[in-house]
Amino acid sequence: MTRSLSDTQIRRRTALGALAAAATGLTGGCLRRMRALTGWQSRDQLSLRIKTLPADADPYALPLARRIAAWFRDAGIDVRVLPMAEQSLLREVLLANEFDLFVTRTPLGYRTPDALYSLLHSRFVATPGWQNPFGYTDLEMDEFLESQRRAGGARRRELVAGLQRRIAETQPFTVLGFADDLRAARTDRFTGWQRVDLGSTRGYLALRQARNADGDGSDGSTHLRVVSTDSSPTENLNPLAVEFRHEPVLTGLLYDTLGYRDDEGAIRPWLAESWSFALSETGPSLELQLRENLKWHDGTALTAEDVAFTYAFLADTSLATAKESDDDTDPIPTPRFQGRIRLVADVTTLDDRTVEFQFVDADPAVATRALTVPILPRHVWRKRTDRASVTGVDVWAATEALVTDNVPAIGSGPLAFVENTPNEEVVLETFDDHFLVDGPVPGIPEGVQGGPAFDRLTVGVVGTDATAVEMVETDNADVTGTPVGADTIPRIARASALDLIANRSDAFYVLGYNTRRAPMTNPRFRNALAHLVDDRTLQSAVFDGYARPGVSPLQDTDWLPSDLEWADDDPVHPFPGIGGELDVSRARDLFREIGYRYEDGKLLEE
Amino acid sequence: MRQVLVDLVIRLFGVVLASLLGAVLIVVGPTNLGGAVDRIKSNLRTVGPTVVALALVLVINSVVRDVGVAVSWIIGINVTDVILSIEGGFVGSVQSLASPPVTAYFSLIYVYGYSFLLTFPLVLYLLHEDARPLHETTVAYIVNYGVGVVCYVLFVAYGPRNVIPELVDPLLYTNWPQSQLLVRQVNANTNVLPSLHTSLSVTVALLAYRFRDAYPRWLPIAAWLAASVTTSTMYLGIHWGTDVLAGIALAVLSVFVAERVGTEAVRDRVVAVYGRVAG
Repeated sequence: MTRSLSDTQIRRRTALGALAAAATGLTGGCLRRMRALTGWQSRDQLSLRIKTLPADADPYALPLARRIAAWFRDAGIDVRVLPMAEQSLLREVLLANEFDLFVTRTPLGYRTPDALYSLLHSRFVATPGWQNPFGYTDLEMDEFLESQRRAGGARRRELVAGLQRRIAETQPFTVLGFADDLRAARTDRFTGWQRVDLGSTRGYLALRQARNADGDGSDGSTHLRVVSTDSSPTENLNPLAVEFRHEPVLTGLLYDTLGYRDDEGAIRPWLAESWSFALSETGPSLELQLRENLKWHDGTALTAEDVAFTYAFLADTSLATAKESDDDTDPIPTPRFQGRIRLVADVTTLDDRTVEFQFVDADPAVATRALTVPILPRHVWRKRTDRASVTGVDVWAATEALVTDNVPAIGSGPLAFVENTPNEEVVLETFDDHFLVDGPVPGIPEGVQGGPAFDRLTVGVVGTDATAVEMVETDNADVTGTPVGADTIPRIARASALDLIANRSDAFYVLGYNTRRAPMTNPRFRNALAHLVDDRTLQSAVFDGYARPGVSPLQDTDWLPSDLEWADDDPVHPFPGIGGELDVSRARDLFREIGYRYEDGKLLEE
Repeated sequence: MRQVLVDLVIRLFGVVLASLLGAVLIVVGPTNLGGAVDRIKSNLRTVGPTVVALALVLVINSVVRDVGVAVSWIIGINVTDVILSIEGGFVGSVQSLASPPVTAYFSLIYVYGYSFLLTFPLVLYLLHEDARPLHETTVAYIVNYGVGVVCYVLFVAYGPRNVIPELVDPLLYTNWPQSQLLVRQVNANTNVLPSLHTSLSVTVALLAYRFRDAYPRWLPIAAWLAASVTTSTMYLGIHWGTDVLAGIALAVLSVFVAERVGTEAVRDRVVAVYGRVAG
């Protein structure tokens, strides 16, 4: 019994030993093989997210994103579209840079080449807002942007053409189309809708009362009622805020600028009475005379001090704070006016009404852009220089000035703040001490002479375009303050009391790439994506024809070089397919050519 | 524009009030209204505290609704994607049945039918001789609104009309744009999971079944309306099928809880506590 037992033990030991030896051999071989294979792991399918606005907030953004996602999917990319509330989207994209791609409408048009400076210069990669949200860094682009500032005449034209070609070649973003600005307006109380551009501040000032219209207020006052799908002006009137939209029309009515841009694109005196340039070696300088008896809405006098303060403050909203602290604290400029503020080297007051600007080395035509920032009252904003403790925003060094809701807003503009109910309405009234009110002012365009044709302006908020149009139709509003989608046109056309206002707009829909993230870091990859976007299908299927295609932000300006003009197809990124139907094998070739691989029809990660 | 909203609310009140009166006559019958005042008094005495609790939950709800949307964008989970991957274009196929009269029917149901369905049980059970139905209804409503508001803060999701516009039309607002003024007073467009329209309607129908012996005529009306409201939320492009399922689950939960928090149990506990304190 004992013997047989020990036999078993021996046998067991032998077996175990053999097993161990085999295991060692196996593992050793396996390890070697694994070491050889290191770095050859199979890749996953490339997966991207497009962040955009829901249908309630924007009529086109979501349908655009979904069309684009379908083409990308056909090309083997795993794409998901994520609609987000406007403020959240702007926070994630413009402040936190947490995105792969986004689709939205740009807040403004880029009528002038220098406006592209802050959109694309690499020095703004860390600046929140619409200052290079793409994280795009291109040395050649920086060079174009800088030299066009200094050049004039034909040389500048050449540089701006080169700049636009560079955008088309490197695609920090893809232009999806310039949607017409569509609105519904009642013609019984105000006229001039067809003449004016409601996307600009001056549009509201140029409206005229209809001949037979009676005042509708109990005191015979006239009341312009605007209905909007954007609730942000009912809770925030800060002209410096970045996470709020957008066409700064309302803040433009509350805050004046020194100069305004006329229809030809030249800057002309507004708050300023006159100015004159002098050229020096370091750059142009300008002596500017303010109009007489300018007042803030609270009755305080607006002086040269306020102007000098504004420029110092926009360049560093922490003012004193930065001065007191050590050298290792950088200034906290306002992101929104970076491009314009950087044109200004110094501002000094000569007397109560006279200011002298010293510009950096720039062509005077470019330098005057600096005169289009809102002038802020010193007695209000100098208290907003402290560091803000912010919630909800990934804190980029922010001062109180950048995050305050600025309610009530005190400006010097033709309209003054009266009251607001968040998410419901905001009420403004005509400012009687404004320089426009006292009669004809030389140098100011005919249309806006005499000030607004109404005593009160209310902006009421509703949730959808259809409701906005209905409010105008049922005489509960005079005009839609936000552009509506083309799908409301039949409704507008049916109602006899309504006028459809269709204006060309310079603002465009954009597919923005986060060039900080692979594979969008690769300009060739961005180009391949741009090919997959069929602008022609977008124009017809999404915009219903109420948009123009384009490849350059400066579309429809004299700056556009002929080789970037849209003829029958995209001049730079023709769509590999017909009628919106992607030719899958051609699309795959686009990516294979630039070094990407496919497995089971799936485009693999880098 | 505020005037438009006020007019809408007045009309809503008028319609609901008229339907309530009509429904009382049909469901309870004029002959059974004798002694109603005494029954109402006694019911209110018993259920009073619970009704106050419901009012409190509704007040909290309205406050959280304003603040909650902002909070939920910060702490909430965006589940739009998940829902879309679960059900895809299902709501689009519900809408394939669309025709103008059907749209008009479901629009009216969504606004007026739902308001009536929610308020009528409170009136009906207030007239009942014992307080149990009223108490259970109140408790079930508290559970619905309580769970609902927590979900709305925890989950961020858009309804189908805001996610797949090429498949789903915003039928309520294209058919009746003004109703949007009313709806946005009680609901943000990111509060879709669960569908409270569904959960409360189904709750009412379940309770109508539970107390069918007391009011047999109410059961078919409640069931029909609940089915209509539930369908309308999807048909109008406001809710996902997922929201509706979650709403039905919430309804079952709320009735389950309400049954267990019966009046007797509460009264017993009060008596016990009182006895201990007194004794």
